[in-house]
Amino acid sequence: MINKALNHLEELLVTFLMGAATLIIFVSVAHRYLAGVNIPGLQDWLLTLNFGWAQELCIIMFVWMAKFGAAYGVRTGIHVGVDVLINRLGDGMRSKFIVFGLLAGALFTGIVATLGAHFVWENGAHYAIFSWFGIQGEDLYEGPTTPDLEWPTWIVYSAIPLGSSLMCFRFLQVTWSFLKTGELPHHDHGHVDGLEDEVPPVDVDPYGMDDNLHMHDLRHTMVGDRRSGEERRNDAGSNKPESDRRQGERRTHDDKGEQQ
Amino acid sequence: MNALVIFSLLAVLMLTGMPISISLGLTVLTFLFTMTQVPLESVALKLFTGIEKFEIMAIPFFILAGNFLTHGGVAKRMINFATSMVGHWYGGLGLAGVLACALFAAVSGSSPATVVAIGSILLPAMVKAGFPNKFGAGVISTSGALGILIPPSIVMVMYSVATNTSVGALFMAGVIPGLALAATLGGVTWYRARKFNYPRQPKATWGERWKAFRASVWGLLLIVVVMGGIYTGIFTPTEAAAMSAVYAFICAVFIYRDLGLKDVPKVLLNSANMSAMLLYIITNAVLFSFIMTNENIPQALADWMLGNGLGVITFLLAVNVILLLAGNFMEPSSIVLIFAPILFPVAVALGIHPVHFGILMVVNMEVGMCHPPVGLNLYVASGITKMGITELTVAVWPWLLSMLGFLMVVTYWPGLSLWLPRQLGML
Repeated sequence: MINKALNHLEELLVTFLMGAATLIIFVSVAHRYLAGVNIPGLQDWLLTLNFGWAQELCIIMFVWMAKFGAAYGVRTGIHVGVDVLINRLGDGMRSKFIVFGLLAGALFTGIVATLGAHFVWENGAHYAIFSWFGIQGEDLYEGPTTPDLEWPTWIVYSAIPLGSSLMCFRFLQVTWSFLKTGELPHHDHGHVDGLEDEVPPVDVDPYGMDDNLHMHDLRHTMVGDRRSGEERRNDAGSNKPESDRRQGERRTHDDKGEQQ
Repeated sequence: MNALVIFSLLAVLMLTGMPISISLGLTVLTFLFTMTQVPLESVALKLFTGIEKFEIMAIPFFILAGNFLTHGGVAKRMINFATSMVGHWYGGLGLAGVLACALFAAVSGSSPATVVAIGSILLPAMVKAGFPNKFGAGVISTSGALGILIPPSIVMVMYSVATNTSVGALFMAGVIPGLALAATLGGVTWYRARKFNYPRQPKATWGERWKAFRASVWGLLLIVVVMGGIYTGIFTPTEAAAMSAVYAFICAVFIYRDLGLKDVPKVLLNSANMSAMLLYIITNAVLFSFIMTNENIPQALADWMLGNGLGVITFLLAVNVILLLAGNFMEPSSIVLIFAPILFPVAVALGIHPVHFGILMVVNMEVGMCHPPVGLNLYVASGITKMGITELTVAVWPWLLSMLGFLMVVTYWPGLSLWLPRQLGML
């Protein structure tokens, strides 16, 4: 339940940041050129607006998008790696490497979250929270602000501890579900399951393919893999039973139809 | 010594199959904990400031623009236009495939996406027209790779981020090699089609051509927005990317009506997902190249090369071999981000032009996308054609071989890449 809410929040946040950043840059560029056009009234109004902060806000939004999007990416299995070797291993060894890789991800993001939290705390969060509650600390550092928007940097930089902790949590979550079910998140399993009569959808995410940039889990056969090539060769010999089975199924369906 | 430790650690971590970004980050952390006095807090800061550059933000914008136009409807219009132009020559639909891939790849900016979009529409049509499955698969998987050479290209932005080279100049420099490579692939297609006497399409009238052109021109205008905007100085490259994203949105939703407004959040989410993955690699690659410079590794490598009297020719050959090998394990963006900061100072010390070196790397990446074990294009093509990777490798080889030949030309003929940006006064 909480997990579902978190998922939605994460998706909403990155979608919003992506769209809003695009809009902001578009508006600021349009403003720059429209303000040069001599339209009475409109021009005066446009000249009173200042979009000097647009670039900075866009950068901040994209960094936040990058941090939380990376966490979302763990959940969708989009992060690419060098998986040529481990995908050649047998299931037992491979699952050990997969768990190791996922835990390494959790370790790294965990360390970064701690470092980032410490940094943010020292650079203004401590001061801000203490003065919020009216506690008089000994000389605490107020922390710098950003150049254009003049926001306190600790708020901006808190993307690191927040995003990294979320990412760490996602890595642990994926590890847990892999240990339980032997499945890894993949962007799109649909085209794998329906391989016989379906091609990948046109807007398929190429980074979500089951290639040697991603770890192969224990539950799915992968597209175009060496192993599936062998299967096909074996299938050439054993095609008949398969079609027989299908015909059999159809026949049972027909029987049912007649009975009805 | 330190360099050796860093690289072996990185290699070992990568080969365990963890995400590239994580293995880069863990290498840096291990190094900082054990071997230097660099304060750890600066690492956390660097994770934010590493991507705090407006130039990098072109990447999410270009991905968004590409995703809006990565749609079967756009692909169909480009295929129609390409078929009406070149369909009546030898290898008709195959040649049209090369042209359609070049156009679509320029707009979508992604090689595998091009293979899916053009391939899933054109390949069945080719088989129906009497082409062997192998021929079509070979044409489409290699032509799809044109996407990272013909601007706007995300890999070029990556290179410019890693080496501080001008994005505008790189884009312009990619135009002629891109067209030349398209011509090369088209030539191979034409030659093989003539040799095996594959079917040709009826010749289209100029009226039909004009109609097909009018339908596809809205998508192609995206290239004009980006290149024209950057060249005339109306936009910075990042602004051009943002404008192209807005243009692509208008084009897809209001002009072509391929997407409804309700599909937009999904496109945004997918683009954010892909961009975040790439930006996460960039952050960690920036950290990695920070310790590389801290340890003076690129400098030491350059001194060693110069001290041993190794010239430009040997160096470029070595670069090609290293990058082609790396192409066996990694995808283009990671290769550029890891290798460019190391090789670039050496190249500059040897007097190789930064833009030429960038184009060379990009062409190398293209070759890497078309051969196993990780060639993304092959995996996508295998999903469409249901051919195994081994079969596809065989199908692809005539085109792959011509690409390798083209790589040699690009490597040792700087004029091919540098002429256009020089004429336009961008260098």
